[in-house]
Amino acid sequence: MNKVLRIDMENLSHKWENVKPEHQTYAGRAFTSITLSEEVDPTCHPLRAQNKIVVSPGLLAGTLAPSSGRMSVGAKSPLTGGIKEANAGGLTGTKLGSLGVRGIIIEGAPPDSEDWYSILVGKDKCEIIKTNDYAGLGLYELIGKIWKDYPTKPGIIGSGIAGQRLLKCAGVFGNNIENSDPGRYAGRGGLGAVFGSKRIVAIISDGTGGTRPAAKDQEKFDAARKVFVKSLNAHAVTGRLNDDKGEPFGGLKNYGTNVLLNILSEAGGLPTKGFSSGRFDKAAKISGEAVHDLVDRTKKKFGDKAEGKYAHSCHPGCVMACSNVVPYEDTGKMHVSPLEYESVWALGANLGISVLHDVAELNRLCNDLGLDTIEAGNTIAMFMEAGLIPYGDGPKSIELLKKAYDESSVEGKLVSSGTQTAGEALGVTRIPVVKGQALPAYDPRSIKGIGVTYATTPMGADHTAGYTVAAEILGIKGTVTDPRDLKKAELSQAFQATTAYIDSTGYCLFIAFCILDDDDGFNAMKDTVDSFLGQDIEVTSYGKDILRKEREFNKKAGFTEVDDRLPEFFRTEPLPPHNVVFDVPDEELDEVYKNM
Amino acid sequence: MLVNVKLYATLRKFAPDGVEIGEAFPIEIDKATIDGVLERLRIDKEQAKIIMVNGTRITRLDYALSPNDTIVIFPPVGGG
Ligand code: SF4
Repeated sequence: MNKVLRIDMENLSHKWENVKPEHQTYAGRAFTSITLSEEVDPTCHPLRAQNKIVVSPGLLAGTLAPSSGRMSVGAKSPLTGGIKEANAGGLTGTKLGSLGVRGIIIEGAPPDSEDWYSILVGKDKCEIIKTNDYAGLGLYELIGKIWKDYPTKPGIIGSGIAGQRLLKCAGVFGNNIENSDPGRYAGRGGLGAVFGSKRIVAIISDGTGGTRPAAKDQEKFDAARKVFVKSLNAHAVTGRLNDDKGEPFGGLKNYGTNVLLNILSEAGGLPTKGFSSGRFDKAAKISGEAVHDLVDRTKKKFGDKAEGKYAHSCHPGCVMACSNVVPYEDTGKMHVSPLEYESVWALGANLGISVLHDVAELNRLCNDLGLDTIEAGNTIAMFMEAGLIPYGDGPKSIELLKKAYDESSVEGKLVSSGTQTAGEALGVTRIPVVKGQALPAYDPRSIKGIGVTYATTPMGADHTAGYTVAAEILGIKGTVTDPRDLKKAELSQAFQATTAYIDSTGYCLFIAFCILDDDDGFNAMKDTVDSFLGQDIEVTSYGKDILRKEREFNKKAGFTEVDDRLPEFFRTEPLPPHNVVFDVPDEELDEVYKNM
Repeated sequence: MLVNVKLYATLRKFAPDGVEIGEAFPIEIDKATIDGVLERLRIDKEQAKIIMVNGTRITRLDYALSPNDTIVIFPPVGGG
């Protein structure tokens, strides 16, 4: 039976509640967003006691459905001032799913507390523990320490140094399966700082005694998940590592998400050096292909001792396995895990840095400090834009980011405070944000549908909220829907609605590459959800319900149509090499939510 | 006719040995279309999902090429 754990940090108490009857179909993003919209005053200060953190494993987390163990974190965002959901893999989703925890709602804050706390969740139990010894640590050290203190290999999520200091670049970290890296981030929106505001370092989920969640129609569920696995394995994007001849086959397994770097650069859509060009002439050096080769090289050289990997899963049961472990060239030991497209872009191409080691080091520092890589990379770009560091200078960027450890360093605070804050403080006028959140790795001037998503999603600039790139650049299509025939507003709306549904199921968004291409895959995926719940869920209307609630929250928080716009320079500065501007009219942007 | 080709991801195996990632290599083709390039390199049409000529995406395999065009070919890829 599913339960909701409600924690009150003001008096350090907790209680278990039943899932409300009208919330029975909600999990993941549906659960976090609908709970926030019902329980949180949209005008509250995001870093004070009135805000709440909601954590919810996706609907199928803990089951045997493939790649279904994602977990959502939601709160009012200190970065955007609006509603936020960010999701990640790692261990916590699966553990909470198997413990029958539908959601954790954390409210209040300890009054005037100097103390730090962690929350231990287990089978029918919850403890709020004073853990001052966990605060202020680098996250590689912290996760190691927690696994020593709790030898049952728990899932861990929480805030690092940046979040504990209430800085807006802070993401919610998560440990990986091996507990070797805290890099499974629900990164965006500064949610790590909300943990800090509640004086929480970590939520530790101990799965001992957990069981696999049962489907209402188990037979149908099992049949459907098997069909779905087959479909994922057969697709050239999501599929198996090698083909029958032993040649590389699945794109994600071989090259990770960073397979995109070269294609976006070739297409002229890869934001380079602070969104001043769409092509990075050195993209190949830090691309997924380069990581693949580095892993193979170090394997050859160091044999069993080599720690580099591709086809690495971010959570138990992911069959697409887009994650990786990037090794040091000279020792073969792990440098960082994962190194994914968005991070390589934010900390590499966006800064003009083409030394793979430097990009990996910047990513490792972000993971250790508790920073969102996308926001941190864009923030460093503001220092470059202001002329404080030259574009392309890896060592100076590393030096700057290291200042974030030092509590007394103003530069360290600034680099952890987000793109808009840093840009404005440094006198920059080209600040790539929507609703205060920095743009990810697709330039909206050459890929206009994603620009519509950036502008209109309630999340602030976020590619995952409506990944039109799949249709616009990658040519993913199928007979279920052919999104390429649609106008950009309709295209973005369709992707935003489907995404809100997927973000609630626990499935990784990357299943979309397969299910949009393959009817059997789509139907099998939908069957797993329907048979699990014992009711027929209409994908788009389920998604739209969530979007409407999120939109309503933002409206009450003070957002208007004017907030659904890209920064001016995207409309006025042509982007080389195609010399295009963002020219989707405002009326079309407004249509995305007008017709919902 | 001489054109330049770049192959990425799982298609790199069709490039001559020693070609770096992102490096263009020249080929001589008899048939001045994308089809001609694919045949010459023995790349399956299914595999050539995304094709760009001089930076512009094209979808027609009978697209006519000019000397020294740069053709970039990707297999189906995705990420985020
Ligand atoms: S495809 Fe990648 S991001 Fe998605 S669940 Fe699997 S490893 Fe994680």
